[in-house]
Amino acid sequence: MTVRQLPEAVVNRIAAGEVVERPASVVKELVENALDAGARRIEVVLAGGGIGLVRVTDDGSGMSAADLALAVERHATSKLPDDDLFSVSTLGFRGEALPAIGAVAKLSIVTRTPDADGASEILVEGGKKHALRPAALGPGTRVEVRELFYATPARRKFLKSERAESAAAIEAVRRLALARPDVAFTLVAEDRAPVTYAAQAHGAEGRHLRMADVLGAELRDNAVAVEGTREDVAISGLAGLPTLSRANSLAQYLFVNGRPVRDKVLLGAVRAAYADLLHGGRYPLVALFVSLDPREVDVNVHPAKTEVRFRDPGLVRGLLVRALKDALAQGSRRSASTGAERFSSFARRNGGGAAGWRRSAAPLHGFAEESQAAFDSLNVPSADVRTPAALPADTLDRPLGAARAQVHETYIVAQTEDGLVLVDQHAAHERLVYERLKAALERDGVARQMLLVPAVVELDPADASALVERANELSGLGLVIEAFGPGAVLVREVPALLGETDAAGLVRDLAEHMAEWDSTLPLERRLLAVASSMSCHGSVRAGRRLKPDEMNALLRAMEGTDYAGQCNHGRPTYVELKLADIEKLFGRR
Amino acid sequence: MKVTLERSELVKALAHVHRVVERRNTIPILANVLIRAGKAGLELKATDLDLEIVESVPAEVKSQGATTVPAHMLYDIVLKLAEGAQVQLETAGDRATLLVRAGRSRFTLQTLPEGDFPDLAAGELPHRFTLAAKDLKRLLDKTQFAISTEETRYYLNGIYLHAIDDKGAKLRAVATDGHRLAQVEIPAPKGAAGMPGVIVPRKTVNEVQRLLEDAGEEVAAEVSPTKIRFTLGKTVLTSKLIDGTFPDYARVIPLGNDKTLVVDKGEFAAAVDRVSTVSSERGRAVKLSLSDGKLTLSVTNPDSGSATEELEVDYGAEALDIGFNSRYLLDIAAQIEGEKAELKLADPGSPTLLRDKETAGAIYVLMPMRV
Ligand SMILES: Nc1ncnc2c1ncn2[C@@H]1O[C@H](COP(=O)(O)OP(=O)(O)OP(=O)(O)O)[C@@H](O)[C@H]1O
Ligand SMILES: [Mg+2]
Repeated sequence: MTVRQLPEAVVNRIAAGEVVERPASVVKELVENALDAGARRIEVVLAGGGIGLVRVTDDGSGMSAADLALAVERHATSKLPDDDLFSVSTLGFRGEALPAIGAVAKLSIVTRTPDADGASEILVEGGKKHALRPAALGPGTRVEVRELFYATPARRKFLKSERAESAAAIEAVRRLALARPDVAFTLVAEDRAPVTYAAQAHGAEGRHLRMADVLGAELRDNAVAVEGTREDVAISGLAGLPTLSRANSLAQYLFVNGRPVRDKVLLGAVRAAYADLLHGGRYPLVALFVSLDPREVDVNVHPAKTEVRFRDPGLVRGLLVRALKDALAQGSRRSASTGAERFSSFARRNGGGAAGWRRSAAPLHGFAEESQAAFDSLNVPSADVRTPAALPADTLDRPLGAARAQVHETYIVAQTEDGLVLVDQHAAHERLVYERLKAALERDGVARQMLLVPAVVELDPADASALVERANELSGLGLVIEAFGPGAVLVREVPALLGETDAAGLVRDLAEHMAEWDSTLPLERRLLAVASSMSCHGSVRAGRRLKPDEMNALLRAMEGTDYAGQCNHGRPTYVELKLADIEKLFGRR
Repeated sequence: MKVTLERSELVKALAHVHRVVERRNTIPILANVLIRAGKAGLELKATDLDLEIVESVPAEVKSQGATTVPAHMLYDIVLKLAEGAQVQLETAGDRATLLVRAGRSRFTLQTLPEGDFPDLAAGELPHRFTLAAKDLKRLLDKTQFAISTEETRYYLNGIYLHAIDDKGAKLRAVATDGHRLAQVEIPAPKGAAGMPGVIVPRKTVNEVQRLLEDAGEEVAAEVSPTKIRFTLGKTVLTSKLIDGTFPDYARVIPLGNDKTLVVDKGEFAAAVDRVSTVSSERGRAVKLSLSDGKLTLSVTNPDSGSATEELEVDYGAEALDIGFNSRYLLDIAAQIEGEKAELKLADPGSPTLLRDKETAGAIYVLMPMRV
């Protein structure tokens, strides 16, 4: 592949701006170049927080001496074959990174193509290009960047501590490593032991192994697989259970066609999918890969190439929300595991479906057992261990087991085959009622009350037209609006469920949210808030004594309900303690 | 201050004034009732800064003076005193406490100085008229249900009282919450014709309604652009008005609706109530299916089932299906006095007009729901 100068017309359309902000951007650009060059293994070395040195070595295609000389010029690239900025299939496309780095640091590139006799080297210091000279290197490329911003002390001041810069640079490598499980990565930084991520096979299996390597066991064990396709868009990845949340969105790894991004549409979709599972201010952990035809997404939006623009954002968003919700519904019957053993055995067994329940070989310990019944005579006021008329024979091997007692008139203690489960009865029942109401809303649609006098709501013209574009979707949620001149909308019908509501306030909230997140969340949230408060009233309170049959019925209903692992407020509805954990507590293991 | 009076007189007056006092107050003196003994007898006054009620009570005044004591507590005390008892109220020498005595019971209540008691400076109330208590009651009772509770449109949080000239001078009350509207009118009493249109707040409406329960035949009203006062016998209620513009309601009243339905009000309300039992959540619609001489009411709740009921009605126009919020229908039906209710309909997406078949002067407008 030859490097060439991009035509003027294309150059002018490239999103201009700062390419190099900090060591992490250098690392990102260099690793992207290595990936674009078809490398199978990439080594990244950082010293002095990446400010002192970044070295990226790859075994990719390398460059000829002539290409090398041109590669450090502005707008020189071997990519973008048809000058078509709208179908970019490589990570780079602007021919900006190397000259930008060369302008602010001491850049050295040694490279050799597989069939060349020897390697060539070039040096660029503070924008000054030195002559090519021969060098020694196997096939591939080694790029060294030293003393970042050495000539511009002002820009150095904006850097954080070496430690923080190093962490950010490592994070950049981790993101790219997640994107390309088929490439081996080695990461060497001063303040930690070298890490190697072995190359994995293509496909889902390889991706999961890489995610486990990069993200650690926590996400892997408390996440569900996400899968979905619609038209030509495909989504896959992992979604963390709501009980495993963070206070910021940094742990949301999002990729579009193998490119790590921080994209508003995607972030908004994640937020929407978790909306009624997480408190405001908590962010889920996700690693999601979107793949689609490069022509359906514009990557030339931001100088750091971390933002994209979808041609059909609604499609991508809808697909992502659906896929996430489905996955969470699947996995939601469990909360985060609490014991030392991270994998929830519930989820594992659940995979087999109801038919897969194993029959318990152990003798059944029912309420009728004497040692239990003896509690009665102690007259412990708030532990109800009454004997049920007849105990369903096989509940021990159900995921939430057999109810044994109610303590403090609030918690149900259940015994499972290999542990015990503690259920918060109010939280659990509230979730059940809420899910039922929500399903009803979805099934029946939202009844609409027409307004005697349609309300005119003044908005920013862009917001108004964005809302009107979504009029169909909104009417499905009970809100009927129409365009009303350039800067206003007319509200004709409101969701009857909301009663007498402040239509103007609702519409303004929606417009704001739509501009930022491209979602109708405020409306959905209000509807669900009503559903939620109704579910709170209709729920079994803490403090109510439950008969054993009632407790068992609640456990069985939880097993059959989506999202039963958390209450509406994102708190767990139950926790599970494995026998192994209990044994550890007593030093038996 | 030292006075003696009948327990029953004091109970009645306190019952009227104490309700104005909010249970929770950030300004301590607003929890108190002002007691003033003058030549003419005893006067009680309570306020929440927007609304004040003053009532005079016959009493034997031994020495004049004034003080303030916690209103709810004084009321509770007096309620529990024996019937027929004589109550003596006396301020202690330093005026810091009020001594309440009846029979062998003695109570000492902490007071706050009467000088700090706020006054709702009413100013000049230039428009005065008198109306029959039952007329005022009708204006308020029949519109009150439609007052909006939604606070962003504060100008709908009351009854719009105004004079109009529509085949003779009328005094008209209108309330709406944006989903429905109620309009009731009476022939304008003398002196009302020139009054400004005013919005009477919900709390004031409620208090006037309560006072009307034991009022005499007539009520005197006085109005300025910012205040309104009603005098009912010995009770004087003065209130601030909502400072806002009531919307031009006339344009939402559909006068051209041509499909007329006449129903027996009792049967209709009972049927709506029955079928809506199956709708568990608020805001579920009851569907009215109209065909020649027949009305079918139905509610479907996928969660619990469905209900239908047929009524024989007076309807000759073309068949029509239309949905309404069942609670709204019941609210309006409850206002209709006669046996027959008349509904004027246009189509499932337009406002419906409802009224009493026999008596004029009250109309209701209801916006349908999509079903
Ligand atoms: N590690 C590498 N191996 C082989 N060729 C490389 C390598 N790094 C850079 N190149 C060549 O140098 C050219 C310029 O690289 P540069 O990063 O400046 O631009 P780009 O990758 O084309 O676009 P962008 O500015 O978007 O990164 C590339 O197009 C590529 O041909
Ligand atoms: Mg590049």
